[in-house]
Amino acid sequence: MTLHVPSESSSAPLPSGEPQWAEGWARRLIEHAACKAPPALSARLAEEWLADLPARRGAIARVRFALGCCWASRVIANELGAALGATAASTTVRTTALYTSTGPAFDSRRSAVSFLIVSLHVLVIYGLAAGMARTVLETTPDRMQVSLTPKAPARERAASPLNPQLAPVELAVPEQHWTLEFPLESVAVAEVNARTREFAVASPPPPVKRELGGPGAGFPNTADYYPDAARRLGEKGSTLVQVCVDGSGRLMTNPTLAQSSGSARLDEGALRLARAGSGHYRATTEDGKPVSSCYAFRVRFELKD
Amino acid sequence: MGDRDGNVRLSFQTLKVLEAFLEKPTGELSGADVHKRTDIASGTLYPILLRLECAGWFVSRWEDIDPASAGRPRRRLYRLTRDGLARTSEVFASFGRGVPA
Repeated sequence: MTLHVPSESSSAPLPSGEPQWAEGWARRLIEHAACKAPPALSARLAEEWLADLPARRGAIARVRFALGCCWASRVIANELGAALGATAASTTVRTTALYTSTGPAFDSRRSAVSFLIVSLHVLVIYGLAAGMARTVLETTPDRMQVSLTPKAPARERAASPLNPQLAPVELAVPEQHWTLEFPLESVAVAEVNARTREFAVASPPPPVKRELGGPGAGFPNTADYYPDAARRLGEKGSTLVQVCVDGSGRLMTNPTLAQSSGSARLDEGALRLARAGSGHYRATTEDGKPVSSCYAFRVRFELKD
Repeated sequence: MGDRDGNVRLSFQTLKVLEAFLEKPTGELSGADVHKRTDIASGTLYPILLRLECAGWFVSRWEDIDPASAGRPRRRLYRLTRDGLARTSEVFASFGRGVPA
């Protein structure tokens, strides 16, 4: 199968110091994984995974990502295949066929994939270890010569004095002053420039100031939505209601109950109040700009004498 | 993959993915963006995204850029559908999550 995937030149290269072969290896693994996916999804998954690959920093992270894609393609192929097969056979067994293993064939495939992944991990670890071992071996001399020095005769050692008295010797070392001249400034400036470029690329984006929204101006009065039955029964309490609001303060979905007050009547009143408040919510802002968001707010029902 | 009736197995990782999208319900995230927010491995993440798309919780499209001028390949962007947002909201509401007033 031929896949139309982005060229290697469009991907972010690994930083210097990382093994560059990992990039090519990860790309080949991803293309192989995409081929194992259902044909209708192969091209899409290959392009999607190759586009997401540069987001992983470091050689090991990219290889892990590619191995994960191999597993993902197997899962997708299995679930999609099960879904198609089950649809053809019967609609009643479809749901159970989706997420359950389908017998020894599936188990053997899963075992094979697990074995492959473990083998690849062992291979990577062995490769790293062998690479490091080679560096050590290269610094070790090829031949080692051992020579035996005969022991001094015991007679001579016995004849030597036990505490020799040595006459002190004074050594006169002439003082010397050295002056080194080299273009220090140019080296320092070049180094600072290089570091500035490095930090400019790696600097994180500025933090976003997020201010959560809530009921805003013109929001309906809570007392107007106090259920009559609850008022007669003396029920009071607070309900936590969750809403999803767009940038103009309008509800995007029906409000839902995040925490009950303990009274179904009060909960229903709180939901009616939340629905009636659509258009009067204060939108969440990010750096002062209104954005859509989901949040919860508390509605308190209290009886006044 | 996902159930055409919209039923999805809500594993812990699936909930983490949905939570990432709930930060900006109408925003679009790529697989790499979701990984940054959830730290879910690719072998688990992409089947979840496809499962939710098949079930109608997500829709996806290709990023609208020119790869040659942008200097990078286009990404696949995922977004919550209206139905997906409603179901996600229900799921998290059932857990009693929310920001106290």
